[in-house]
Amino acid sequence: MATTLLILHGLVAIALLGAITHQALATCAPSNAGPHSFFGRFRAVPAERFANAIIVLYLTSALFGAIVYLYFKIDIQPTLERDRHWHAMGFLDLKEDFVGVGLGILPAYWFCWRRPADSQHNHIRTTLTILLAFIVWWSFIVGHVMNDIRGFGS
Amino acid sequence: MPASAVRRFVFAFGAAFALLYVIGRLRGLALFTVYPAQGIVLLGTHRSRDFADPVLDFLAPEMYWYGWTASAAVGALVIGLGAALLPNRLSGFWAWCVWIIPPMAMIACVYLTIPWFRL
Repeated sequence: MATTLLILHGLVAIALLGAITHQALATCAPSNAGPHSFFGRFRAVPAERFANAIIVLYLTSALFGAIVYLYFKIDIQPTLERDRHWHAMGFLDLKEDFVGVGLGILPAYWFCWRRPADSQHNHIRTTLTILLAFIVWWSFIVGHVMNDIRGFGS
Repeated sequence: MPASAVRRFVFAFGAAFALLYVIGRLRGLALFTVYPAQGIVLLGTHRSRDFADPVLDFLAPEMYWYGWTASAAVGALVIGLGAALLPNRLSGFWAWCVWIIPPMAMIACVYLTIPWFRL
């Protein structure tokens, strides 16, 4: 059960990672980028259409992560503490904190992307998108490292 | 609900959630505590070591993250609804808050995690 949930959590996280990275790059790409450049092509894609998918994927991934975390606490954490993986525990603590903050900004993120042409919220939209992208990347990398510390199925 | 009220709500909610999460984390204010090994949930913040020898702490590991998140969500909901009822001239203030407070909260979380890296 835990392994299945962990794999599902990872798959959803990969989809989320792709979507948020695409949107963040589209948001931050310089406006003078040529149409045939990498950023230019990114900007040609309507990033606002990713917003709802990103919110659903973020919530789904957080839900799976929250369930897997119960198994982690019982089965994995004691072993990590016994083996003195304190840095890994610290990075995981940060992951849960960042994901929590990310959950809180989702409504504001949704609102800013609902009206992408509204220049009044441009800087907020950019900040929240970059913040979410950072949270997703951090969570993905830390989750991956935590999963690999002892090896899959060990 | 008018769009301006929704804007005030979502901006206030985002800022308040981040701030309350950090306060909850700092002060240990969890709405509930989860004991996954026993499969029980207790209202409020509880520590195993308050009831049993600290040496036996590993038998009943407690989890606060769910409680911190719930505390922040409830508090942010109240503040968000309050902001939605306030005049629209405060809209800029909430926009400024949601722009500044979540990144600051994340930095505060980094600070709170430092003890792990000193072990």
